[in-house]
Amino acid sequence: MIELNHRERGKPVIELRDLRRTLGEGDTAVEVLKGLNVTISQGEFCSIVGPSGSGKSTLMYLLGALDRADSGQVLIDGQDTKKLGDLELAELRNRKLGFIFQFHYLMPEFSALENVMMPMFKRGVRHSDAAERAHELLSSLGLGAKTHRPPGKLSGGEQQRVAIARALANEPLIVLGDEPTGNLDTSNADNVFAAFDKLVKEKSQTIVVVTHDLDLAARTDRIIRLVDGQVVDDGPTADVMERMRADGIVPLSSHG
Amino acid sequence: MNPFPLIRIARRHLLHNTFRTVISVSGVAVGVMFMIMLSALMTGFEKKFVTETVESSPHITIYDEERQIPDEFAQWLSKQSGGIATVEGARPRDRRRRIKKPGEVVSMLRNMPEVEAAALNVVGTAIVSFGSRERGVGLMGIEPEDQEAVSELDTYIQGGRVFDLYSSGGAMLLGSGIANLLGVNKGDTVNIKLRDGETRPLKIVGIFKTGVTTIDYSRAYTLISVAQQLLGMGRDVNQIVVRLRDYASARETAARIESMVHYRTESWQEANENFLSIFVIQQVITYLVTGGIMIVAAFGILNVLIMLVMEKLPEIAMLKSMGYSGRDVTMIFLMEGMVIGWIGVLTGCILGYWLTVFIGSLPIPMKGLIESEHLVMNNALNLYYRAGIAAMIVTLLASVLPAMRAGRMDPVETLRGHA
Repeated sequence: MIELNHRERGKPVIELRDLRRTLGEGDTAVEVLKGLNVTISQGEFCSIVGPSGSGKSTLMYLLGALDRADSGQVLIDGQDTKKLGDLELAELRNRKLGFIFQFHYLMPEFSALENVMMPMFKRGVRHSDAAERAHELLSSLGLGAKTHRPPGKLSGGEQQRVAIARALANEPLIVLGDEPTGNLDTSNADNVFAAFDKLVKEKSQTIVVVTHDLDLAARTDRIIRLVDGQVVDDGPTADVMERMRADGIVPLSSHG
Repeated sequence: MNPFPLIRIARRHLLHNTFRTVISVSGVAVGVMFMIMLSALMTGFEKKFVTETVESSPHITIYDEERQIPDEFAQWLSKQSGGIATVEGARPRDRRRRIKKPGEVVSMLRNMPEVEAAALNVVGTAIVSFGSRERGVGLMGIEPEDQEAVSELDTYIQGGRVFDLYSSGGAMLLGSGIANLLGVNKGDTVNIKLRDGETRPLKIVGIFKTGVTTIDYSRAYTLISVAQQLLGMGRDVNQIVVRLRDYASARETAARIESMVHYRTESWQEANENFLSIFVIQQVITYLVTGGIMIVAAFGILNVLIMLVMEKLPEIAMLKSMGYSGRDVTMIFLMEGMVIGWIGVLTGCILGYWLTVFIGSLPIPMKGLIESEHLVMNNALNLYYRAGIAAMIVTLLASVLPAMRAGRMDPVETLRGHA
């Protein structure tokens, strides 16, 4: 079975130190992240909010070890991603990170069950164990009866739940979501966030989501607000929402 | 890395879009099929020609002439006069040509390890007439037993044996081509016109057909003693023929024999140089044509895989985010290319075999350099290996570029594009 990552609630699992990233070259170069310093601990349910172009997705790719920073450090469970080679980064992604994107990117040639098994295959989990775990995950997300369906035969919400199951397959320390509910209706988005909430509470899962939806962000424990590549606010959700409301960013009627 | 997940992904990619896979496989299969068929056709002619030439003719022939006759007097005069006096227009003495001490030469040859058999021949030209028809022939006087050891003549004689030459005082074996032109059958008696204008009757005891037109339309065999009489050669012989254990080494062995006996010695390759060079050109053309077909097939695979990689960019990005490395992704697409190649090669071999047999069975009579009722197909296993290996190399080369491109693909670029 899957070897569990050691989860110690409160232990820093993501550390960003003076993180900078510039996209483009020459005249078209844009500094997207301008020296971020953030620490996220095990068991935190954290959202990153900000307007378009504020650097949220860029930050997500750096947290996910898919991209490399120009300067500064990204430490995942104490490992500096800058010092890791391509194969070590791939292993880090496989063992410690789980991704959920706005577009689920499920493989159409495989069933829902097989899609969830994919990260486990890479990890070397036996087929029967991987199938059992994938089945468990899909059942817990309400898809127990649809495990053998190809993604094309599932609704958008169901596909996204398969993607969530896939992100959780290897029991990662951190789940990263880039607009994970961006393509879902309100009801499905609520279900997804409810599932996240359950994972955080029951399994001390660290979840970091990028979202435009402040209503959904309000359901997380902590909000990091990015504007123009800089952290302009960071704290417990209620406090950040209060300050945003005071600044007129959030309507008074909104959650919080 | 456990390769099974990669194999599983590659297999599903191929099975998911079967039409595209079948098109790619067909490209390789057609290339392999034509490569096999064309190679079988081209090498078939060459093989038949070589086989029949080396079976029906000696591997090495020693002629009664020196390769270069040094004009000793001219050289002596030039040297003595300091180059002032030269001899122009010298011509060799008109003397009867023969091989000196032929018995000793044959014994020496038979003692060489690479020589299987050697025989004495008397060779000359004569005119054969039958009724009102006349034809020039290359008359070859032989000792049947010795000659049989050199050229397996018996195999090619229709309704007769080489030993039938002993059956009467004047017997002859005639090539099928000349026999047809003269209208001669076995048992008929033809007249040989001698040098002095006299004629002598010879009975046809057999007609041989080697399939090599140049032999069947020009040669006649008789006993060596009869040929010596007909050609006025007394007891001299003017040619020694040799069969080697390995006919492929004839060129080198001929050169060695020539350096020992000092007579012009010719291998079967040298004797048939003009035909063999045609086969070389023919092979080059074959490989150019089949190579062209394979390159077209390769571009087909390249195209399909590039399309597949472009289509799968989001999946590749997702695989990388799941922890699959660039090398894993490269392997997936490389395997897909190789599977297309393997299936294409296997299908191509089966189709190639079928096409080769089919074309070889068509009644297409030929009378040219060689004679046959069908196209001569060399359905040899090595042609299949060669076509298979060539196709796999081409497939590998065609797969490497898209596979490496997939492996190097930056997932962030794709994710940004879709975000």
